[in-house]
Amino acid sequence: MAADTTTADVAAHDAHDHAHPTEKSYWIVFAVLAVITAVEVAWSYLGLSGLALVLPLILMMVVKFAIVAGHFMHLWFDLKIINGRYFMWTFAAAIVLAVVVYFIVFATFEFQI
Amino acid sequence: MTDVENPEYPNLEQAAASELATSDSGTENDTIAHDHGGHEGHHTSLGLSNMKLAMWLFLGSECLLFGALISTYLLSKTRFLTELLAGNPIVTESIDNEELVAEMIAEGSVEPLFDIPFTSFSSFVLLMSSLAMVLAHHAVVNNDIKGSRIWLGATAVMGSIFIGGQIYEFTTFYNEGLTFDGSLLGSALYTLTGFHGVHVSGGILMLMSLLFVSFKGRLNSDRAETVELVGLYWHFVDVVWVLIFTIVYLIP
Repeated sequence: MAADTTTADVAAHDAHDHAHPTEKSYWIVFAVLAVITAVEVAWSYLGLSGLALVLPLILMMVVKFAIVAGHFMHLWFDLKIINGRYFMWTFAAAIVLAVVVYFIVFATFEFQI
Repeated sequence: MTDVENPEYPNLEQAAASELATSDSGTENDTIAHDHGGHEGHHTSLGLSNMKLAMWLFLGSECLLFGALISTYLLSKTRFLTELLAGNPIVTESIDNEELVAEMIAEGSVEPLFDIPFTSFSSFVLLMSSLAMVLAHHAVVNNDIKGSRIWLGATAVMGSIFIGGQIYEFTTFYNEGLTFDGSLLGSALYTLTGFHGVHVSGGILMLMSLLFVSFKGRLNSDRAETVELVGLYWHFVDVVWVLIFTIVYLIP
């Protein structure tokens, strides 16, 4: 029983070792990032204002952030492994914490709490 | 040893099993300290390399640092613009360039200060450097020594181009009358982008160190995790610039 378990673990471990993205996928992801960056810059020149300007830019920024962190930093791949544990959530948790903390800071300035 | 149950440290069993499955010789201690295929150090009691976990925790703390700097910039810029549009003489005279101040007041934003096409080019170069970095790591994992040197060098060169661009930009800001201690906007902008520049410079030093180690003949797939750690730092610096570029430059 123990032997079966360890064999499965080894297989899972090896599967992880070969789960990293390919060289081709890096080039594709880079092309996507370059296109999004070009769209971002073009969008800022459309003469829009308010939410019509800001919302798409923020959305594209978040997508770029997710792609770089997920693919180049292997977050998408590492999140799925490590013996079923999710240590990479430490980074995601830090981002969420940072955003929440700074929204609170903004709120204190806006509402003079 | 692989059949021995150890409920307290199950991953050590897996580590031993993995080592026995992939190596003809070696001890359990060897297994914990060294991995195969460029993933050394994965087999800890946490199931994750301590170095990699430490780097992620460090990057998590860096999120808070840059979060604070970006928040400070946004608050300072809003305060600066509010006072500028209200005609506060302390603020209008804080930038020693009447033409620029008049443009900012006319547009109600700090956009006239920035050269978007130039910064877009810098951003693109930094984005390309991230691609070069992952290709360098990929090359090291595959024991492609020549390829790893080319991509590590390319990453360092592109990082240097970005820093050169930032120095040029800072010089332009200064010549336009925006000083570090002259206005709230200047202080916040120089601090935010300057901190990022220092991080990029630190990354370039790490890359140069890796190149040095490589030319000493000590950078192969066994040390792929070292390159991965530098890569994580480099991509983080890139990802921070993704935020700064949009929040500071594109959203006026």
